[in-house]
Amino acid sequence: MFKDQVLGLCRNPETAAQAVEALENKGFSAEEYDILTATPYPEGTFGESRHRHRLYVFPFVGAVLGLSVAVLITVGTQIFPPIVTGGKPILSIPPMIIIMFEGTMLGAILFTVIGVIFESRLFGPKLGLYDRRITEGYIGLLVTSSPERVTQAEEAMTGAGVQEFKRLPAGAGGR
Amino acid sequence: MSPETAAQETSLEAPSGQTWLPKAGAWFWLATAFLATIFALGILAFILRWQTGWGDRRLWGYYAATFSFLFSTALTAPVVSVGLRIVGGSWRRPVCRVAELFSLVGILSFLWFLPLIRLIPPARGRLSIWYGLAGAPHVWETVAMATLVAAGLALLYWASIPDMARSRGGGGKLTFLGRLAFSWTGSGRQWRVLKAGLLLLGVFYLLMLVFVQSLFASDFVVSLVPGSKDALFPAYHVMTALQTATALVTLTLFLLRKWGGLQDYIGPATFKGLGRLLLVVTLLWFYFWWSGFIVMWYGRRPEEELLLELFVTGPNRPFFALSLGLNFVVPFLLLLFNPIRKSILGPSIVSVLVLLGTLFDRIRLFTASFSMTESGNAITRLPPARVPDWIDLFILLGGLSGLALTFLASIRLLPVLSWWEITEGLKLQAERTLGRKKVIMVAKPE
Repeated sequence: MFKDQVLGLCRNPETAAQAVEALENKGFSAEEYDILTATPYPEGTFGESRHRHRLYVFPFVGAVLGLSVAVLITVGTQIFPPIVTGGKPILSIPPMIIIMFEGTMLGAILFTVIGVIFESRLFGPKLGLYDRRITEGYIGLLVTSSPERVTQAEEAMTGAGVQEFKRLPAGAGGR
Repeated sequence: MSPETAAQETSLEAPSGQTWLPKAGAWFWLATAFLATIFALGILAFILRWQTGWGDRRLWGYYAATFSFLFSTALTAPVVSVGLRIVGGSWRRPVCRVAELFSLVGILSFLWFLPLIRLIPPARGRLSIWYGLAGAPHVWETVAMATLVAAGLALLYWASIPDMARSRGGGGKLTFLGRLAFSWTGSGRQWRVLKAGLLLLGVFYLLMLVFVQSLFASDFVVSLVPGSKDALFPAYHVMTALQTATALVTLTLFLLRKWGGLQDYIGPATFKGLGRLLLVVTLLWFYFWWSGFIVMWYGRRPEEELLLELFVTGPNRPFFALSLGLNFVVPFLLLLFNPIRKSILGPSIVSVLVLLGTLFDRIRLFTASFSMTESGNAITRLPPARVPDWIDLFILLGGLSGLALTFLASIRLLPVLSWWEITEGLKLQAERTLGRKKVIMVAKPE
């Protein structure tokens, strides 16, 4: 289902906080709006709820995969050639630990990069509704919902002191 | 005081658009041209050395020392940012990007490393940490080095994304940097992922750096010298690299403040903090060196005496003396005094000394280990000190120029300061008058 978007531009954090409050009073959920800023603000500055992500799962998965591949390579390369060890253990553990650490780290780093890209939605199809003044200090309040709800949001934000808006109709390439 | 109030009372604003780049005057381009010439001569010297072949490892001692210096400075510098970010504190904000930009020098370092790995014999049939494992050390060491460089680049890219997005400002044409920011909008979710990602990538970089430094020190020094069993040497190599990287970052910040027009953003508090850090790593330098030295000095077995002679008291004594003086004695005596340590110039001068000291230290270690022609369980005769010829000198100078040149190029490519972190800090601090003294009040939201 296509959704409309409206971006309200606030000049300071106080207006943004009042606009968020107005949206929540109108029954907008945290999934329906987002706050866009050029610098990070302490969580809760605008009265918004905490954003959740699953980035920490990625390095664990990568580390397990990397470790498994490293174990396979080191064990495989030592077992496969028919070497007579004269009663000594076939597997040489100390260098295996080095390569297992290397594989674990390689997997963890690779999957962290993938996780960061995925969880931040960095490679989305388009930038979406955005105003370049946000990079200069304005605070953007982006609401994504049905056309009627977006109109309600615009009214609520206007009541809270937001004066400038940009609107993207459904199906016009918004996120 | 709430963060918002602090923000209103803050007079400094981070620049937007392209104004973050340091001024590139005539001196900048003159320095770039000079460094590019020396770097080109260094490449020429490398090609000439290549013509002599790979059979005689002694000829490559200075090349290895140069790589070790690059490794100890540029590749280690991001760790300064990682450490300070983990610890927190407002003074670290101008430090982070400068330290991370050295990740780009990692590409040069990796290219420098590739010919070097060829000079190491396979692990089979000799004493090393690899126990003769297949592909060791060449494959595994190269993969580890590549992983480290890639992790550094990922860290730099991820930390720079908000500033790349900032270059969209002004309403003009989307810049190259703006395009690299892809769909970054600065949403609450993206900021949370950014901070968590920086923490994770930073910690992984730190772990990898200690690991790769240890492998490098083991394979290129300890295992090449018969009878060398110094288990503390890899730790010493890591520790001295941390000291050198701190010095490099301090000196770079001083140069950017002095000639980059960034004196409003790189303040005395940053140098005060770095001065403290330099003192700590200087003391650790001595601790790690002494811990390795005392074992051999007290043991006094014939092979240990020869090892001490090789690295400390014998033909490489001048390099050792210079290193001890410039890495520990003089920095310690200078940083001990508050007026020097808390100044801007004091830590910067100490940084120059430390960088020179480490260069001499690396020459001492790598020319000695690369001069060993015998194998076995102990040294039987000492090789003479390797006096550099003009090819060695140009390789050394070429490496140093390459480091500086890559950094100069990087500050034309990316914002030299982490503006999003600096702006975040500015929002959370304000100058207040307390009695008759002006103080900075910092808000801590966490």
